[in-house]
Amino acid sequence: MNQSFQKITEYEGITEYRLLSNDLKVLLVPRRAAPVVAFMVVYRVGSRNEAVGHTGSTHLLEHMLFKGTPTYNKQNGTQIASVLQRQGAVFNADTWFDRTRYYEMLPSDQLDLAVHLEADRMRNSYIADEDRQSEMTVVRNELERGENDPSRILDERLWAFAFREHPYHHPTIGWRADVEGVPTSRLKEFYDTYYHPNNATAIVVGDFDDDAALELIEKYFGPIPRSAHEIPPMYTVEPAQEGEIRFVLRRAGQLGIVEMGWHIPEATHPDSAALAVLDHALSAGVTARLYQALVETQLAVGATAQAYQFIDPGLFTIDATLHPGIEHQQVEKTILETIEALKTEEIGESELQKAKNLILTQMIFLRDSPFGVISVLGEAEAISDWKIFVDWPKMIESVTAADVKRVVNTYFTEDNRTVGYFIPRNSEE
Amino acid sequence: MTDQTFAARTRKVRLANGMTLLLLENPANPTVSMSGYLWAGSWYAPSDNEALSTLTASMLNKGTRKRTKLEIAESLESRGARLGISANTFTVSLSALSLTRDMPLIISTLAEELREPVFPADELEKLKQRIIASIREDQDETRVRAYERMTQLVFPAGNPFYCHPAETVIEQVEKTGVEDLRQFYETHYGPESVVLTFVGDHVPDELITLVDQSFGDWRGPAPREVNLDETPLAPRSTRDHIQMKDKANCDIVIGHASRLRRTNPDYLAAIIANRALGQSTLSSRLGLKVRDEMGLTYGINSSFSESGIGDGPFTIGVTVSPDNIDLAIDTTLGIVDEYISGGISEEELRDEQSSFSGSYKIGLATNSGMASQIVNSELYGFGVGYIDELPAQIAALDKAAIDDAIRKYFHPEVATIVIAGTFDDNR
Repeated sequence: MNQSFQKITEYEGITEYRLLSNDLKVLLVPRRAAPVVAFMVVYRVGSRNEAVGHTGSTHLLEHMLFKGTPTYNKQNGTQIASVLQRQGAVFNADTWFDRTRYYEMLPSDQLDLAVHLEADRMRNSYIADEDRQSEMTVVRNELERGENDPSRILDERLWAFAFREHPYHHPTIGWRADVEGVPTSRLKEFYDTYYHPNNATAIVVGDFDDDAALELIEKYFGPIPRSAHEIPPMYTVEPAQEGEIRFVLRRAGQLGIVEMGWHIPEATHPDSAALAVLDHALSAGVTARLYQALVETQLAVGATAQAYQFIDPGLFTIDATLHPGIEHQQVEKTILETIEALKTEEIGESELQKAKNLILTQMIFLRDSPFGVISVLGEAEAISDWKIFVDWPKMIESVTAADVKRVVNTYFTEDNRTVGYFIPRNSEE
Repeated sequence: MTDQTFAARTRKVRLANGMTLLLLENPANPTVSMSGYLWAGSWYAPSDNEALSTLTASMLNKGTRKRTKLEIAESLESRGARLGISANTFTVSLSALSLTRDMPLIISTLAEELREPVFPADELEKLKQRIIASIREDQDETRVRAYERMTQLVFPAGNPFYCHPAETVIEQVEKTGVEDLRQFYETHYGPESVVLTFVGDHVPDELITLVDQSFGDWRGPAPREVNLDETPLAPRSTRDHIQMKDKANCDIVIGHASRLRRTNPDYLAAIIANRALGQSTLSSRLGLKVRDEMGLTYGINSSFSESGIGDGPFTIGVTVSPDNIDLAIDTTLGIVDEYISGGISEEELRDEQSSFSGSYKIGLATNSGMASQIVNSELYGFGVGYIDELPAQIAALDKAAIDDAIRKYFHPEVATIVIAGTFDDNR
């Protein structure tokens, strides 16, 4: 056993360690089915940690972490993306409300490269002003691509209306003027505040030897000190919504959309499993309730429901894209009737079991790939702890029809509801 | 893990009725991934109704002689099992993912859908309306509009890579009736045409027995071989603009006839040539200049993605703010010109060969990845041994071979350039 680490626990084939020198959390998940390995570093910082003036900074900073360090840079032929591409790696990074993650999946003899690179850019990224200027316009084009899509804009508005005070109010990509205006010094401040080993989890999944992986992590992350400051907590709380909020978005487009959202609790709340079962009963597959009520009846082209799981209370959303000629009010009424039916009558045993099976089999399917496993572990670490992923099947199994009825009655109230309509204007000139 | 070759590990069986099975055991996870095809894609449909192939494939799970659409869906969804049938340009793709214990359900359901569809009229009407709505929705996307127009300018109407205007497709969908589907089905769906690959935690003998029980007495028409003329390069470059409303981002598609099919002897050289030019937004020539250095775009890629059975287009796609349209096009074409005159560098070639080797291993790390490679080796007639031989073939390519491919397959001087978005009318 490597003396630089404290073994914290071992559970369901996953071993958790703490790197003693700097409190980096480490998860090892050996799976030797194929000669590949996945490596991920998850930072507990996302757009949740931003405020007006620097919305989108976490995401812009994530882009800046591809711009180089004194070791990996374009000038000496070791640009980060090129070095990884040379190994055929599947790699990227992304940012969301609660976290930023950097990952590589590569041939197992290349784990050294991934660990070295991630340790290096944890503290040594340039974050130079000239790089920010060219990367800002890249991000602005990413934002513009998103703006082309009415359903994405409607969803962005829904969160902005439903959250007045909490930073889930603004989209992860940020408000356009903030993306354009944020100074490099603010990004650097963000980097220096949050990018430290004691605010991160390093995860290895795939074909590797435990001792060798720990040795690599110690070699490259070990010399990085713990942050000199405590990581600042995010303390803003969204007050209860006191009355329905409604809004309309009008712009060019083809088909109308209705989207609705209800506030639900944080991911670690005991009701999360019942809400996940509910979203599958409502929208997973042809037999789901919303498909039957909206698509089968030709009121809508498609309908989805999603119980978002975040560190802080999030939303349960339902959206439906309207069939041409159908009124928004009619679709909204049908969605509400579908919800109301679940308040008065429990779902049947076979429907309950079907929703559970869809979740449980999906969890088995994702084990086919190291990337599938590392993704869900990373998300679990972002919102709380990896063990919630391992325990998720048991929590899903324990959901009863009465639980589903109870969560519908608790959260799906009129005062807790936000309703948005996208009304298209003809997109042709 | 095993050091055995794919050729040694994969079992190929041809049933008496002509159906082909390829089976590979991988006990890592209690699941099985199925991938396969049959020859009934849109190329087989009459030129005045190419939608017939998609409608037929999409109707197979909408009701059979034994069960209704809802009963079929209920049986699969209640087990969390997935079964998909969808039409492409030349083939209809068959795919499934399930726990090992549910393979009998997958196979019997697939047999029911392929052998006993009833094409209920009310379901066809619903499907037609959904497809029409989704075509209309797609017309709101700048990428779709730019790509469609490029194909209309590069390929003659009737070529499988020519995308009909949306209103034409809608008319085709609207006029299609149950009898049209039945006739298309009876002409093109038969066991000789079907190839199925199973990868995962299964016992091959048991699976073969299961498939034989469900499909063994199926008889049907033999597949017709694809016979497609190569599309020549256009005589000159053309540009077109599609003005749309309220689009913050413009899509630019630069395309020309590729004259490249999967079976061309220099296919691998062309693929390596393209990787260095534009496969990765983050590390290929186009991305390093247009995104990383100039900051003009979030995404720029080049691709031979339709080079398979037929010779689809070579395309470069880039998204930009309306202010940067001309700069992005000029820079992109300049990079391609420079690439053609100077060729690939020795360093780029080494990097791309190494990259291919790594990404190939990663692609083969999952059941679905293995199934997809096995299916392709059968589709193009290479045999499963090709999966083992491919890395050595890539490693053997030299600069001269890549430069020949660059000169043969990249022709920006006759490219068609289409811009879709909201931009100044005076362009």
